Amino acid sequence: MITLKKYKHSINVALLASIMVFGNSCTKDLLDPTPTTSIIDNEAFATPARILSLVNGMYAGVKHGEFYGGRYLIYNEIRGEEFIVNKPNGVTGLDTWNQNVNSNTNEVVSLWSRSYAAINRVNVFLAGLNANSSKVDAATLNLYTGEAEFLRALSYFALVQTYAKPYTFDNGASLGVPLRLVSETTLTGEGTNDLARSTVAQVYAQIIKDLDDAEAKLPATPVTPVATVGAFRAFKNTAIALKTRVYLAQANYTQVLAESAKIVSATAPYQSPNGVNRLESSIATVFGGSYTGSATASETLLSLPFTTTDAPGTQNQLAFYYNNTPGNLEYYLNTAGILANPALSGATSTDARKGFIGSNATVSYLTKFKTASPFTDYIPVIRYAEVLLNAAEAYARTGDLANATALLYAVRRRSDAAYTFAAGDIGSQASLVNTILTERRIELLGEGFRAPDLKRTLQTLPSKVSPQSGTSPAVAPTAANYIWPISGPELQNNKLIVPNP
Amino acid sequence: MMKKVLYLLGFVLLFAVQAFAQTRTITGRVTDAGDGTPLPGVSVSAGRGGAVTRTNAAGEYTLNVPGAVKSLNFSFVGYTSRTLEITSPKLNAELTSSQNQLNEVVVSGYSTTSKKDFTGSAVKVSAAQIANKPVQSFDQALAGQAAGVNIIQPNGVLNNPPVFRVRGFNSISLSSYPLIVVDGVPVFTGNTGNTSSVSSNSASNNPLGDINPNDIESIDILKDASSTAIYGSRAANGVVVITTKKGKQGKTRINYDGWVGITKAFNLPDLLDAEQYVTLKNEARVNANLAPAFALQKDASGNNIETDWFKVVYQTGISQNHNMNISGASESTSYFLSTGYSKQESFIKTNSFERKIFRGNVDHHLSKAVTVGTNFSYSNTLNIGPNSGSLLGQAYNTGGLARLPLVLFPNVSPYNADGSYNISGTGTLGQGANTVSNNYPNVVVLLDNDRFTSKNDNIIANVYGELEIVTGLRLKTQYSINKLNTANTSFQNPIAGDGQSNNGLALNTFEEYNRRDWTNTLNYIVALGKNHINALVGQEEYHTTNVGTGTERTNLADSYFKNYQGNFLNVRSTPATGNFNSENGFRSFFGTVTYDFDKKYLLSGTFRRDGFSGLSANNKYGNFGGASIGWNIAEEDFFKSSTLSTIFDDLKLKGSYGVVGNIGVSDYASLSLFNSGLYGGASTVYFNQAGNPNLKWETSKKTDAGISFSLFKGKIQADIDYYNNSINNLILNAPQSPSRGIPGDPANTIAANVGSMFNRGFEFSFTSRNITRSNFSWTTNFNISTLNNKVTGLAQGNSDIYGSTSGLETANITRVGHTLGSIFVVPTAGVNPANGQRIFVNRFGQQVQYNQAASQKWTYLDGTVAPAIDGTLDGTIAGKSIPTYFGGLNNTFTYKNFDMIVGITFSGGNKIYNGTQATLRDQRFWNNHTEILDRWTTPGQNTDIPRVVYGDNVSNGSAIPNSSNVQNGAYAKLKNVALGYKFPTELINSAGISSLRIYVQATNLAVVTGYKGSDPEVSSNGNSNLSPGVDRNTVPSARIFTFGLNVGF
Repeated sequence: MITLKKYKHSINVALLASIMVFGNSCTKDLLDPTPTTSIIDNEAFATPARILSLVNGMYAGVKHGEFYGGRYLIYNEIRGEEFIVNKPNGVTGLDTWNQNVNSNTNEVVSLWSRSYAAINRVNVFLAGLNANSSKVDAATLNLYTGEAEFLRALSYFALVQTYAKPYTFDNGASLGVPLRLVSETTLTGEGTNDLARSTVAQVYAQIIKDLDDAEAKLPATPVTPVATVGAFRAFKNTAIALKTRVYLAQANYTQVLAESAKIVSATAPYQSPNGVNRLESSIATVFGGSYTGSATASETLLSLPFTTTDAPGTQNQLAFYYNNTPGNLEYYLNTAGILANPALSGATSTDARKGFIGSNATVSYLTKFKTASPFTDYIPVIRYAEVLLNAAEAYARTGDLANATALLYAVRRRSDAAYTFAAGDIGSQASLVNTILTERRIELLGEGFRAPDLKRTLQTLPSKVSPQSGTSPAVAPTAANYIWPISGPELQNNKLIVPNP
Repeated sequence: MMKKVLYLLGFVLLFAVQAFAQTRTITGRVTDAGDGTPLPGVSVSAGRGGAVTRTNAAGEYTLNVPGAVKSLNFSFVGYTSRTLEITSPKLNAELTSSQNQLNEVVVSGYSTTSKKDFTGSAVKVSAAQIANKPVQSFDQALAGQAAGVNIIQPNGVLNNPPVFRVRGFNSISLSSYPLIVVDGVPVFTGNTGNTSSVSSNSASNNPLGDINPNDIESIDILKDASSTAIYGSRAANGVVVITTKKGKQGKTRINYDGWVGITKAFNLPDLLDAEQYVTLKNEARVNANLAPAFALQKDASGNNIETDWFKVVYQTGISQNHNMNISGASESTSYFLSTGYSKQESFIKTNSFERKIFRGNVDHHLSKAVTVGTNFSYSNTLNIGPNSGSLLGQAYNTGGLARLPLVLFPNVSPYNADGSYNISGTGTLGQGANTVSNNYPNVVVLLDNDRFTSKNDNIIANVYGELEIVTGLRLKTQYSINKLNTANTSFQNPIAGDGQSNNGLALNTFEEYNRRDWTNTLNYIVALGKNHINALVGQEEYHTTNVGTGTERTNLADSYFKNYQGNFLNVRSTPATGNFNSENGFRSFFGTVTYDFDKKYLLSGTFRRDGFSGLSANNKYGNFGGASIGWNIAEEDFFKSSTLSTIFDDLKLKGSYGVVGNIGVSDYASLSLFNSGLYGGASTVYFNQAGNPNLKWETSKKTDAGISFSLFKGKIQADIDYYNNSINNLILNAPQSPSRGIPGDPANTIAANVGSMFNRGFEFSFTSRNITRSNFSWTTNFNISTLNNKVTGLAQGNSDIYGSTSGLETANITRVGHTLGSIFVVPTAGVNPANGQRIFVNRFGQQVQYNQAASQKWTYLDGTVAPAIDGTLDGTIAGKSIPTYFGGLNNTFTYKNFDMIVGITFSGGNKIYNGTQATLRDQRFWNNHTEILDRWTTPGQNTDIPRVVYGDNVSNGSAIPNSSNVQNGAYAKLKNVALGYKFPTELINSAGISSLRIYVQATNLAVVTGYKGSDPEVSSNGNSNLSPGVDRNTVPSARIFTFGLNVGF
């Protein structure tokens, strides 16, 4: 009996011990699980298909709702005089409209952060592509490199226009923004946490350098048929078109003309030599919500797409800001702004762009962006109409009034075929420049050009009055709040950064 | 042989003496003073050397005592001993469950130690301290109950996890929430560092609400390193070890506890009525050079329309709670079965909490050597909430219920005359007779149509087997699971509120959290002469998987549909809509030894080696450990022979030191990762996490020195501790210059072992049994703790870290040399009596005033143009947001059959950023607090309310937080008052009831404070380390009255 008990005891011990050993030996990967929904860095550039996805990822970075995917355009509009705040909401740009932001204001912090996040995606991509160049053919390598450089240029241009004095203020001698050009992925890696601001001129030089290289590397025609996804990725004309915008901001009109000549034919009907880009016959077509052009030609040189599954984030959507049902009518049109122009509000106006003006009992608002929730209107980044107006202005400012007038008419008569400008509007260089600038306000309303146009021409940001929020004061080019302050977190973390005065 | 004979002789003699003495027989019954249940196994003695017996299963005893014996002593583990005078042959005794008694045991999770031999620092909270309280989770009931434990209930949203801190904030980027272990199972407490809610929507969901407070026998809160080191890498924030009730020997016990109650909002602000509002806002418009835009609206009978929006969103909630348990034990088997149902309504309309819970445990001795057992609990908890705007990240929600009554027109009705909603085309409140619109939704539309739920199915279970190999040597294996399934549903209507711009939005997520834990221990307890050794070695492995599936549907097809399953036009399922799939694992080895010599000299040492999958390849394993020493002076002969021994019953000195860790990094924190998303119709891959190949354990070095003593035969009992938690190699989300473009969550950071911080302070806990007469007793428990937190090092040359409220307002900063999350605002110098403008002080010490209406808004006092005030550059630290002292004062009285508890909690030394005050003084169309009537109107007037200028969101602090909204957070609160009556047993026994008690109870009756908001016990940012002490657009606290019943059969 005693031995049996002992025996039983030993069985117990053996059983328990074997369960313990068995139980714990079958989990050798316990401490090394592999992520299943994210890709580990050393696999990121493993296949050509994934590298293409990385290219798309760079565009998606630029398309973030707090950057080019919505808010960057909105800030540029509401700093100007065309819009009046209707919903005095701190989250949707009230302080921006009031010219009253400081370094801690949400808009200032987020735009800075999102722009540089987009830039770092480019820098990470370029470093990874370089290390994995064997995975794609030479043409693809050029294409991807060019696209990356284009996106970096676009992002720096947005930053330098927002956080630094206009180039024209002092020929770029002011402080610009820090130029981050290497992949930033680790705590103590390639980049350094502290980096001083380059001058405005240096930032512009980098932008032009990237665009020149992109122009050389990008293909002449979109990589896939325009009607599908071509309008969503840059090609040669896109880089050139952006250069006309950048040189215009530098008041370098000769270069504007040199670049525009590459993509604008010498005579009407104006189109790019390879036929890829030209104006649509009707502007209403361009703002139908999901315009990409036809298989053979397109007005857009770059649009950022949205779909119901890839929708813009809450309170970032253009239609939400400008439009009313669909839309939240956050901002309506200022009766003292471009709305007062007869083309948009004249009772007899036959201008097609008047069709973008909606109104309710009390106010008029912009209906250019109109797609219902989830507000999937594509973001127009560069349109051919802008290129024509860039060229027109450069001609006018360099004294070639004939070409300037012809280009101006190309834009105006697309929307109002029978229109003739009064002699006083186009008769002199000064009046013609003025008329072209006004045409930009009519044509590009809501697309994010107003504040940059005011600033490059060193004009005061005009005062405007809202019944909801009182008066937003005029801001002179010499005033501190003519440009935005550097982001607060940057001031705190980057020991070499210098705040704007 | 000689010895045996002597013993025998002595025994016979003793027997003979007793037989000859004159004896009498005393009988009686011993019951629990709390619930009246009989207590079996109570030792009943007639004094030193006298007769001893134990009560039987019915709590009854019979004892023969000599005539000279005047009193009997009753003692039982876990209860306060009592000595009662023998006044008749029948002597019944009621024993009170003891708190903080030196003779208790401390449960450390893997083993237990008697408190007398314990040299660490721990505090026990007993069932009585948390029983019957109208809470959703037990942690809410801990406020003021334990030294070193600070509980802040953020607001009155049901099942909102409290800010729960043990000895301060012990991390910056990781969670500071303690580890919670239930019957040996480390349970889920939430999935991010800042919140302990597992809900992904507006219904708050604290998984600790899945534990029935009534099932808890005791809560041991382990504080110092020597007691927590056995938990190694998870111990830095303290460990809360919960032991659930088990069956006790004796007859089957059946208990029913129930209460019903009502809940109301506590301390709502006074708002302007319609007439005051119209007058004030028009004055502001005139001051802004705008035409008046506000007017009173008349109803059909010609009366002014006047809406009290608080009445629209708040109500009197009704709650009920029922628990029933059956338990018992025989020699070989003990069991406990319980079930509970709780249905609580908040004072916030549509906010409710419902819990159904079942628990059962069985322990069985298979043989003398083998014990097996299981403990199983299942709960189903349903949280329903509106968008209260009061949870972490919600302070600025457009549809946030807390803010809406503050910003909606008081001169407009929620309904039109025909009963339809009074709304604009976009669902905002109709403007009535006002000529400007209100851009906030009509709240009745939200209350009627929006719905958020978060439902848990939570299983916490374990099975164990224990084998006593030889006497004192036990081998134990325990396998545990915690399976938490959370289903979150939301529906937001297309008419008004946050769902409006989506034309209706529904988002459902289903989240599964699974943890399995296998622990094996070998424990040896041996006494060699005066040497007592208790040694334990063990090994533990646990594995956790987190899987979430979620889909968002927008664009409601038809207004008929009111839930996710109805038809919508658009569907989206991305990581942002709650899709995740990750896992982590722990592999650990540990050992602990406690040794004492003659119960005088105490030593303990603990070691744990933890491997964690979330850390970098070369740093998976970390070593942790602690040691302590103690000296029971009262056991020394010199002490016993001194006069001190007549005062001191116990006197112990102790000290400990150890190194423990904090974990809570994401599952793949050390890796550099790319995510995949969409660019229109194309797929993307993008850099999404900057990893750190050197990421290793965060270490927290804890030092503790303490003294505990009891005086005058247990009348006074006290514990005093000094602690110093020094945290190094903090796993910090090291802030990077945003221009580096580092992605991640949070963006612009990389997790790194940098930074250091300390928490130091004293804890004092004192229990005094002031009066212990048989029909009147009064016990006082007082505890106070101090906390000195200071950050001593941060990343990147000690860069400051901002704490934001809902990503939009920065009112906290973490800066070297200061307390974590200090209040950070621009200082103001009041209101300029000359012109009524708010004066700010910029970084150069210059006074700058603000005028919303002027074209040059910022000027020096002489009127010349000044640079604009900048929140970052001009901000300064205005005070600590973390209380520097806190505690509780609990008095318990019994008079005959009545009992009363008065619980007070207090806290102070901190400042609160009262952002709600900024809302209440905002000069947009928002309504204001009546204090706005003191605004500046006349030159020379001294006031702290600036001249009102329409559209001004700067002077009040909405746009840039300023010091006018920083207020002293000190308070004392009458947290809990309960009055009970116990029916005499003679009366109820005939009805088959062994005990019956009824009580009434009130929570949050009063608060004494200088704070001007609703309640100084507040946290808009939940458990956030970086932004504590902020009150921003949050609902107030609840005041609750309950009536309850405790019945035992």
